[in-house]
Amino acid sequence: MSYQTLLDAIIKGDIKTATEETLKAVEAGQNAQDILDRGLIEAMNVVGDRFSKGAIFVPQMLRSAKTMQECVEVLKPHFQENAMTTKGKIVLGTVKGDLHDIGKNLVGMMLEGAGFSIIDLGVDVAPEVFVDKIKEKKADVLGMSALLSTTMPSMSLTIKALADSGLRDTVKVMIGGAPVTRKYAEDIGADSYAPDAGSAVLEAKKLLNLS
Amino acid sequence: MEPGPIPTFQPRLKVLNRRQALAIHTAALEILEKTGIKMEHSECLDMLAGAGGRVFDKDWVRLPAYLAEEALRSAPRQIALYDQLGNKTMPLADENPFYGTGSDTTFTLDLETGERRRCILSDTGNFAKLVDGLENISFAMSMGNPEDVSNVDYIYVYAFAEMVKNTNKPMVFIADRGEDIAKIYEIASMVAGGEDQLRQKPFLLNYSEAISPLRFPAHVMDRLIFCARKGIPICLPSGSNAGGGAPVTLAGAMAMGIAENLAGLIVHQLAAKGAPFLFGPNVSALDMKSAVVSYGCPEWSLTQAALADMRDEIYGLPIWSFAGASDSKVVDAQAGAEAMFSIITAMLSRCNLIHDNGYLEYGSTSSLEMVTIANELVAMARFFTYGIPVNETTLALDALERIKNAGPQAFFLMDDHTFENFEQALYLPKLLDRSRYDSWEAEGSKDLYTRSNEEAKRILSEHLVTPKDDGVLKEIDDLLKAL
Repeated sequence: MSYQTLLDAIIKGDIKTATEETLKAVEAGQNAQDILDRGLIEAMNVVGDRFSKGAIFVPQMLRSAKTMQECVEVLKPHFQENAMTTKGKIVLGTVKGDLHDIGKNLVGMMLEGAGFSIIDLGVDVAPEVFVDKIKEKKADVLGMSALLSTTMPSMSLTIKALADSGLRDTVKVMIGGAPVTRKYAEDIGADSYAPDAGSAVLEAKKLLNLS
Repeated sequence: MEPGPIPTFQPRLKVLNRRQALAIHTAALEILEKTGIKMEHSECLDMLAGAGGRVFDKDWVRLPAYLAEEALRSAPRQIALYDQLGNKTMPLADENPFYGTGSDTTFTLDLETGERRRCILSDTGNFAKLVDGLENISFAMSMGNPEDVSNVDYIYVYAFAEMVKNTNKPMVFIADRGEDIAKIYEIASMVAGGEDQLRQKPFLLNYSEAISPLRFPAHVMDRLIFCARKGIPICLPSGSNAGGGAPVTLAGAMAMGIAENLAGLIVHQLAAKGAPFLFGPNVSALDMKSAVVSYGCPEWSLTQAALADMRDEIYGLPIWSFAGASDSKVVDAQAGAEAMFSIITAMLSRCNLIHDNGYLEYGSTSSLEMVTIANELVAMARFFTYGIPVNETTLALDALERIKNAGPQAFFLMDDHTFENFEQALYLPKLLDRSRYDSWEAEGSKDLYTRSNEEAKRILSEHLVTPKDDGVLKEIDDLLKAL
């Protein structure tokens, strides 16, 4: 079955058509995981690609992401034993002392659109809170954001807390935010640095050896 | 009756009519009354509740309009900022515009290599010294979050001390919380010769930010209360950027930013009636591709011009604004175009305290060259805004008569009227190049970036900052050592 109408609707951000098409595919007997992979995520790949080329604007990309999430809600009951396979679990948050979250929220939406499952801890997240959540959720990736150069050191403290709790080898660490540089990421022992939301998706895929 | 002299019209930009201004103000009051604000500082929340605010959902509070009206009435209409030598150099009132640098950049353009690198403490010193030596830059901000301070918890104290050592101009400063602002206040009191002297002749203004939408964190309110009680002028613009922290439409973003500012003002005046508060939000635009807050966009210039109109129509308080900044990563044509756009419109709309001159890369990078260029652009804007004086001397009919009578070889360039008037009549650029091609080439074919780099270097090596008293410097150093 071709998902072209579904793809087009997600790319356009037409929530009504997209959710209808999702339901139609389910009723036609399509496998939920297949609809997710070849329909929803494929559409978001196109959107992500267009966005990173500057062909569409942030609100258009976010509308597509919202459309995709609505479709996921339609799909959810149709996964057998809730066995929806995602690309990986990512814990996200703005570090302790920092209350800014626009950039971090963008990253979350983009990653979700690309098929990752996101656990967003919000802003002002202390190292131990990151550690506990990573342990609880068995997360694959930790994404930390900071807008202020004065709060950046908290990234390093979180990485240290991961090491102290023996979790450092179980999770990849990706950082970003206005004052963050590739060199800073290397200095504090992060695994990856993403300068913006689009590259966060590419970096996350790279970290988990996904194409 | 003798006709008096012809008054000079000084070019003026207006962007709102009275109905627009009142409608935005009304919307701001409605936000305070109906939506409310999130006040995360318990003492401030109690103050607001005691004054008539209605608390809900733990730390949200709705504020009746009369609280805003009362705060607007009790806040002073003028804030006189002094330099550190005790001269009143920045009367923030009415239509007086003053330009200065910005705060908190992560990076700076290295003056020697041109490379973008992390800011260090000596950069903050250099920016302060450059400001001290530039005639059209009236106040200094840190222009960097230095990477090399010994205790990062007191980063703003080190930056402040470094600025004090390198300029005597008024300063706009940043602090993080109650502890570090108290240290900065101690240093400022040392410089002024005591707390009373500082209150009498304040040379500093604190820049703090609420977080849009409608959020007032505890550590920010600690600073607001501290400043109110010590009589340190403060501004509390939130980042109500169109499409990011605020609605994408400029009227809605302004209404929300003004609501946030009014909420800050209410707390401020409840804490200390009559304490000086500089009004105004930061209403820029979030770029719809990169999601950065733009520093070169026309939107910010438009909203602050609108705010100046609202000041004149409604608020009467001096306002906070920005100019001379760019989203460009380098000192190039984009940087020049964007800087000039905001500098001239800020002056034409009579903004008061105009910060961020010298920013590149949407406020992430500072540039000594850009500050030097801004100094020249402000001079151009001033010349333009001064207008065209019309009187007997400037109409110069007798000069024309003289030239006509002097024969075919006569020309205005050699006339006494020219000699006597050219310095006032014409704008005489310093940094902008108008030389003939051959001499420009002979001088090394230098573009504006190169010339401003050389000028910044020249000022840093030649300019002498009137030194502070040795005793004061020692006191400051002792305070820093004890951090």
